[in-house]
Amino acid sequence: MGPLTPSALEPVETADAGFLATRADALVNWGRKNSLWPMPLGLSCCGIELMAMIGPKFDIARFGAEAARFSPRQCDLLIVAGTLTWKMAQACRTIYDQMPDPKWVIAMGVCSSSGGMYDSYAVVQGVDSLLPVDVYVPGCPPRPDAVIDALLKLQKRIERENPLKRVISGPATELDDTGTGARVYQPNAAVRRSMLDRHPHAPRAPRPLPHPGGEEEPS
Amino acid sequence: MSQAPAQRETRERIAKALEGIDHQTSESRDGMTCVDVDRDGLHETLLRLRDFAGFSQITFVTAIDRHPAEPRFEVAHQLWACAYADRVRVRTRVNGDDPRLPSCVDLWPGAGFMERECFDMFGVGFDGHEGLKRLLMPEEYEHHPLRKEFPHQGIEPDKLYREWDAARRAEWEASS
Ligand code: SF4
Repeated sequence: MGPLTPSALEPVETADAGFLATRADALVNWGRKNSLWPMPLGLSCCGIELMAMIGPKFDIARFGAEAARFSPRQCDLLIVAGTLTWKMAQACRTIYDQMPDPKWVIAMGVCSSSGGMYDSYAVVQGVDSLLPVDVYVPGCPPRPDAVIDALLKLQKRIERENPLKRVISGPATELDDTGTGARVYQPNAAVRRSMLDRHPHAPRAPRPLPHPGGEEEPS
Repeated sequence: MSQAPAQRETRERIAKALEGIDHQTSESRDGMTCVDVDRDGLHETLLRLRDFAGFSQITFVTAIDRHPAEPRFEVAHQLWACAYADRVRVRTRVNGDDPRLPSCVDLWPGAGFMERECFDMFGVGFDGHEGLKRLLMPEEYEHHPLRKEFPHQGIEPDKLYREWDAARRAEWEASS
């Protein structure tokens, strides 16, 4: 468990009995951000670094995120670690949809952030063409420290969300940004939209076939 | 060209096994003995190499796209003779408009996967292979990625995913 930061939670000490006054939003966020349960989607080499991150040396238990569950129903943080192929994309999207709200996504490594060095027909050029991504981690593979940094950035961001808004004003589900028609709870819709604007990994459009040149048979 | 004794021995063995079949033997740049046959003689060639020349194991089936040359595809079967410790490559040229050749799954059941991969990547059909379907790409995929005309960034690579997603979305909308 992380510390109760003064900015988020203002402990009010009384003389005899300890009790605490805070905003309900801040309390919920504090609980959420310190118990992110990752869904490790280890697709290739980055998955190995992810295992190191969960293991004792880098120990993300310090940030309350060590409880990796191999069932999307129990997770709220999808870590896409590795090269996502279009064939795997359906599985990836299904996993994301099966995760209960609220949920966040980390794109770990250049492969999942942008396709990386695989500028090819088989590889998704950035998982943000099918999922709303919260944090991108560069590196091939990123060191576990870099992913831990992403986790901390995500925690900072969760601190700024307004989870109780949906209780008061109804569920804040809306069509997600990716045009895939899924409805997601998006406390940070504005932020996500601006990020998508800055990283428009539009899915590839059909292109004309190059004419195979050359007259001679290669020997 | 002078040949190493081992290579000469291999060639003699192959020539004896393939008596009566139309073929040419040559040596490739990497020093492997190559046998060129046409597709009608392919199955018989492989059978005889297996049974009479000791090439008991198939190690590789693949193709090369020689576009724009015709016949376009060069299908290579590589065999390994465990008892003699040597290899042979059987090469067959097939046309681009009808790329079919006999399958050798009846000789080596293990060749099935390699033929499926070859079919997936080049669209070369293997007659007699039950269940010749794609191995790596999705089964509904329309293209053959290792053909020369295929751009390496793909032709609408996200098409199948988007279709799947649209169908799912329609279902979702209908039920809600
Ligand atoms: S980013 Fe690098 S290490 Fe990570 S999956 Fe891609 S190729 Fe592998």
